[in-house]
Amino acid sequence: MLAYQFAMENPAMILAEGVEAMEFHELSERHQISGVPDTIINAGAGRMVGAAPEAQLLAEVRLVMGSG
Amino acid sequence: MEKLLNDEIIAQLRDAFQKMEHPVELVLFVSQKNCEYCAETRQLLEEVAPLSDLLDLRVYDLDADADVAAKFNVSAAPAILILAREGEQVTDLGVRYMGIPSGHEFGTLIQAILLVSGRDSGLTPATREYLKGLTSSLLLQVFVTPT
Repeated sequence: MLAYQFAMENPAMILAEGVEAMEFHELSERHQISGVPDTIINAGAGRMVGAAPEAQLLAEVRLVMGSG
Repeated sequence: MEKLLNDEIIAQLRDAFQKMEHPVELVLFVSQKNCEYCAETRQLLEEVAPLSDLLDLRVYDLDADADVAAKFNVSAAPAILILAREGEQVTDLGVRYMGIPSGHEFGTLIQAILLVSGRDSGLTPATREYLKGLTSSLLLQVFVTPT
């Protein structure tokens, strides 16, 4: 849900996708998903395992986007 | 076909949808090829959509409607896009779900509908400011399981 909230702020730049891991197992394997939720940022440039508060996801995004 | 939603769930959904503020359009992409859960996902959304006047459903086929799939940048099915609608105009707010939203994820879908309907992220001012300022693309893929 947090990812969806993020996307709404700038949908021209941000896409938030819930992915059902069993059904899209190849994608899950590629990212070595072993527990959920697991948030993959920009195809693996960053990740956040588990549910995290807003500040933590923002910090991880800033790290990936390199403008932190 | 047997209904997926029972009367109790339908009553709960009608109640939850009372909180909808603005129209939402669900766009589902299905495929005839290798899509184990497309039919069930379609049936589920067809049972959910009539439960609010502010909710609509459109269903497209990934191949037959390749132009629409390209427009929304969808390449796999089932894909559910939760769009903001004003009259005939729909706006993609970057909110989508890949797969069948069953179990816990059904609740997430309903929350996502309410979120888009409210047109407000509810995030803190600092987070909003940062995200609005992004000038390169950000993809957040949240892997979940239905249990």
